[in-house]
Amino acid sequence: MRRDLIAAAVALRIGAGQAMAGWTVLAGRCLFYILIMTVLSALWDKVADERVAGAIALPAGGLVLYVLATEWITLSLPSVHLRFEDDIRSGGLEPHLLRPKFYLLQSLAQSLGGTLVRLAALGVTAVAWLLVTGRQGPPAATYPYLFVLGVLAVTVGMLLYAVAGLCAFWTRRILPVMLVIQKLMFLLGGLFAPITLYPDWLRKIAEATPFAAHLYWAGVQALHPSGAMFLQAAAWQALWIVLLSLLCLALWRAGLAKVLREGGV
Amino acid sequence: MIGSLRLYAAQSAAAIRTSFSDRGNFAIQVGGMIVNDIFFLTLWVLFFAGFRSIGGWRLQDMALLFGLTMSVVGISGVFFGGYRDLAATLLRGELDALLTQPKALIPRLLARESIATAWGDLAGAIFVLGVFAKLEWADLPALLLAIAAGTTVYVCASISFASLAFWAAGARSFARELTDFMLLFSSYPGSIYRGAVKTIAFTILPAGFVVLAPMGMVRHPSGQALAVVVFGAVVYTAIAVGLFHLGVARYRRGASPSI
Repeated sequence: MRRDLIAAAVALRIGAGQAMAGWTVLAGRCLFYILIMTVLSALWDKVADERVAGAIALPAGGLVLYVLATEWITLSLPSVHLRFEDDIRSGGLEPHLLRPKFYLLQSLAQSLGGTLVRLAALGVTAVAWLLVTGRQGPPAATYPYLFVLGVLAVTVGMLLYAVAGLCAFWTRRILPVMLVIQKLMFLLGGLFAPITLYPDWLRKIAEATPFAAHLYWAGVQALHPSGAMFLQAAAWQALWIVLLSLLCLALWRAGLAKVLREGGV
Repeated sequence: MIGSLRLYAAQSAAAIRTSFSDRGNFAIQVGGMIVNDIFFLTLWVLFFAGFRSIGGWRLQDMALLFGLTMSVVGISGVFFGGYRDLAATLLRGELDALLTQPKALIPRLLARESIATAWGDLAGAIFVLGVFAKLEWADLPALLLAIAAGTTVYVCASISFASLAFWAAGARSFARELTDFMLLFSSYPGSIYRGAVKTIAFTILPAGFVVLAPMGMVRHPSGQALAVVVFGAVVYTAIAVGLFHLGVARYRRGASPSI
């Protein structure tokens, strides 16, 4: 167990190193972040300006900070699902099974390493974007909370992607599964707007899902910083990290049994 | 010309049949895309239920935009699916075999692949346009023209982005990202774009000509609206053809990068 964790830490460091070495890709992602924030801030500014009778009242300052946080998390996510899909479909998985290190843990740790680098780079981009556009950011004391929730949020997101990737044992191509997971992130995670703006019944459902743990809790912390909400958010995120890790493990074991029984997918 | 069209039709039909061949996988991909589109539509329905309007745009306008975008992406994916990874095709040197043959290059590259998920977009587009966009039968000619023009601009812009691969090896992911940026711009109400962002939406990432101008033509048909839509399609076709053949000339000299 200890050796596995040390190997995972090394994989995490390798993942971080790879992400930093591919700085052009990282820069492209930061550019995309700026572009999407330009579009989404324009959207929310327009909604805030319009104030149509009967429309939901937006929080003071609009929803730009919320969207800034949710996009920060979304764009930091790794493509771990594609790695699983490629390895499972191409037979690239089998050589890993001969090695003494646990493929699933190593892959996830390596992806998390890259994710943390992207999280940092996009975090700096977010602050720079706020400064350049002259928008007011969250209070300085909120940043440590956001950092912790951001790291937990990308871990939840990465595990959701991993679940999609592991479905390749059965579906071979995971695009449809991914599309559904991504849209659930949009809808139940509240990518564009807090789930508190939804009808009450939908909000209650959404809050209890891993998608809210992935996006909503960190986003709402940027909008309405609060210590109590931070603890609640961290608890939801920790719960979903445990549950999704167990689900990944179960899928891995079942998928591996299928590969060993049938000789491939 | 007719020979080229026949060849394109035959190659495209073969690509479509290939995409059908694994039926289970095809059904999963199409179903997944339909579910994806339903979620996206639900998101906008919830949005407009809460906020009513964005700069004068209402749910039916958003549905028309969404339906047009899905139609454009669906038709492009089914019949011109090679556009999606064209830069990689060029960088892998797959042009070599085609250069020895007398037929036109661009149609053959586009017809190499048919993307299964695009059928899901097409099905979704018909549903959204039919149920939510509040269109009349009289709007059908303008709608078809809008889809044709939008598809032309979308595919031609994608060819232009992919042609960067004749000059830079890193163009593979960059070209796909530019295409995705164009789609991103095409997925939001035109009323939110102002100043420099609006200029980008009508030039480098021509969402304006892919969906916004065609949509204006469907809602408010006029000679001027038609001229703008046709102008966009002609200009982006000329740019794509020009840039691609400039790149091919460079490729023939052996000056293009490869992977």
